[in-house]
Amino acid sequence: MAKKQNSLKPQTSAVVKLSKADHAFSIGVDIIMAFFLIVIAIPLWSTIMLSLRPSTFIGSYLQGMVLPPWKWSFAAYRSLLGNNGFLLAFWNSVRILIGGVACALVLNIPLAYGLSVRGLPGKKWLTILIVIPYVFNVGMVPTYIMVAKFGLTNHLASVYLPVAINTYNLLIMRSFFEGIPNELRESASIDGCNEVQTLIRIILPLSKAIILTIGLFYGVNFWNNYFNPMLYLSKDYLRPLPILLRNILIGASMNEFVEARAFSDAPVEAIKAASVFMSAIPMVIAYPFIQKYFTKGTLLGSVKG
Amino acid sequence: MKHLLAFAIALTFAGATLAAQGSNETVAGPKGTDKPTRITMWYNATQTEVGPLPNDWVGYQILKDKFNIELDAQTLPSSTTDQDMKVQAASAADDLPDFFVASREVWLRLVKNGMVGDVTDLYGRMPNRTRLMFDDDAKAFVTVDGRQYGFATPSKITNNEGLVIRQDWLDKLGLKAPTTTDELLDVMRAFTFKDPDGNGKNDTYGYGAFVELNTYEEYPGRRFEPLMGAFGVDGTWDMSKASFGLNINKPEFYDFMVFMKRMIDEGLIDPNWMAYKKDDFRGAWKQGKFGIMREQNAALNAQNNYAPFDANFPDGSWTVIDPVKGPKGKASVGPAVRGLRIWCISQKALDAGKGPKIADMFEWMAHGEGYLLCGWGREGVEYQMKDGIPVSMPGEKGFEGPVGQTYIQLRSMAFNYASDMELVSRYPVYTTATSHKQMSALWTLREMQKRHWTNANGEDSMPVPSTDLKTFYEQGLAEFLTGKRTLDKSNWDAFLKQFNDMGGKAWEEEGRKYAEANNYLY
Repeated sequence: MAKKQNSLKPQTSAVVKLSKADHAFSIGVDIIMAFFLIVIAIPLWSTIMLSLRPSTFIGSYLQGMVLPPWKWSFAAYRSLLGNNGFLLAFWNSVRILIGGVACALVLNIPLAYGLSVRGLPGKKWLTILIVIPYVFNVGMVPTYIMVAKFGLTNHLASVYLPVAINTYNLLIMRSFFEGIPNELRESASIDGCNEVQTLIRIILPLSKAIILTIGLFYGVNFWNNYFNPMLYLSKDYLRPLPILLRNILIGASMNEFVEARAFSDAPVEAIKAASVFMSAIPMVIAYPFIQKYFTKGTLLGSVKG
Repeated sequence: MKHLLAFAIALTFAGATLAAQGSNETVAGPKGTDKPTRITMWYNATQTEVGPLPNDWVGYQILKDKFNIELDAQTLPSSTTDQDMKVQAASAADDLPDFFVASREVWLRLVKNGMVGDVTDLYGRMPNRTRLMFDDDAKAFVTVDGRQYGFATPSKITNNEGLVIRQDWLDKLGLKAPTTTDELLDVMRAFTFKDPDGNGKNDTYGYGAFVELNTYEEYPGRRFEPLMGAFGVDGTWDMSKASFGLNINKPEFYDFMVFMKRMIDEGLIDPNWMAYKKDDFRGAWKQGKFGIMREQNAALNAQNNYAPFDANFPDGSWTVIDPVKGPKGKASVGPAVRGLRIWCISQKALDAGKGPKIADMFEWMAHGEGYLLCGWGREGVEYQMKDGIPVSMPGEKGFEGPVGQTYIQLRSMAFNYASDMELVSRYPVYTTATSHKQMSALWTLREMQKRHWTNANGEDSMPVPSTDLKTFYEQGLAEFLTGKRTLDKSNWDAFLKQFNDMGGKAWEEEGRKYAEANNYLY
């Protein structure tokens, strides 16, 4: 009997001998992953090298991708960082990012939690109400009218508030909360917690993964949002980075119309690449810190969703 | 508890609304009071990338002191598509500014919806601007039922492109500039096969281009118009009274297609012409890939734009030549259009009595103090006068420097894009860095404007085809040129019949009515 029980234990110390098929499979996976790595790395590398291309460069696109460091030019970055409005636009983007993510989480967490509670009166109808605008987008003009009527135009909140609740993200979060054992809520209730206390003291500490993941989704969205600021922010001092970068790109593309020494010595393509790279930097920095939660957060949500 | 939670969710929705506090107040000075008239204005910044008009721009104070106007100037997005979208969305929410610029398409829609006002009577308040900018064509551009609903101002220098050729290649090969389509083919062959750059490689082509289209232009686009002009079919429309219609329906268009197909089949054109974007195209001529093209004066010869070519080819040079003549003796660089933009006053602003104030401000910007201030900034700070021409002060505060540029963001409201003062100032003479040549984009411009252009006034506001029809047009031509469809008379006629049956004829008729109604036919 004891022997039988032992045989059921996982044999952690034993060396697993892989068959030829396992080896082949492993190599196949490696090759596929290497292929995907190359597919991802090439455009990234190409963008960086393009941003460092000097205006005197002559050669093919491929030659440009292997340009030696002593031929690199930072004129495109100098143009971007030397731009009068860059710091202000960057600050506006940061304000939108912080305000937007905070607003989105403050709105999404209680809503998702509420919808995850079993037996919530009108839960079905509330869910339908939330899903309707996800399926049938109301369009630009009604949204503009709503934003204008609420007095939100020329206010940074107009960038994030109309999109602060994303149905898809909300449903992922709701599914995550539903996956938390009900017994925990019951225990909290027995201990005298009300629903708000249960959410704050029990649910939220267990939900770091989904909060960071959904926060990242919202953050990327708000950081890159061009359309809402373009539409709702007319005051120049409120413009965020995507607007400035687009202005720089269009201005650079049209440089034949401006004065002889205007703007920059960098080629237009280098300015475009540099602006793409620079606008991605904050998100590139944020990803590694959140990555460990990322898979867990999305996977749990999707399985239950 | 669960009911409380349901209530909390409802409260979340309400909270979203409450959290969204903001203000967007645009206050008008009441009629008959001394309170300043506040004018909200959406304008095209001269250079969107350098930053907005600074708050300490002295024009604000001058407008307040002279006209009792409080101007709130806000830049529109940099692309025209985004501008249109913003203006339309604002109009739908009845949130238009007092004074703004719009494309003709959007403007016409706003007129029909009663969102922009009748400004016919305000022209009299702007004698200088009217003299400089508002001729009969400009007024016709904004006329609906005999009344003017806006001010059509020039937005660009006209006829500033031309057919240019590598003079150093011609000299090296002992050739003369081509004057006919046959000679053009010969020169293109020499540029392609006789190693004009002497690098021992077969890496050059005769002609270079890319497909450049705007809303009112059809395939293959403006870079081929000097070739189309040789057959009398440059531009989408023939705007003459005698032979009005879509150029594609003319027999000469087929002749042009045959000519172009020949260029492609013989390998005389840079084969990347279908894939190139504007940047690629410009990168290619700066790298010496081809020797003939249609290019814009400043894109070719302004200091920054010419510098890479100068560095790569210190002995190289481009010359503007006459457009080549076709079999019937026709020649043209392309259709000449005015490129007008429309300034509108919202009906709401007119109702609030702001019309005269806006006209006074607009007039102030067109001449004298306001003109200089908007166009070049402050004398001694952003510019200095030399021989009657404003010249940028040195350093970053000069109007060509990154700080000074922000003070001339309203330039497009002031400029008429034709006066010597503007052009000489805009395109100064400079010495190239590598070859030490004296150059000016203005010299190139004058050369380009001397050449023959086809009168096509109004073509840039003609009705546009449906997306399906436009796609059919473009794909059909591309297939003939790439050899996917055999280019012969019977195939071409079959294509045209199909094109006209699916809406081409109706489009042409719509265009005729529009052109007649707007007096565009000459």
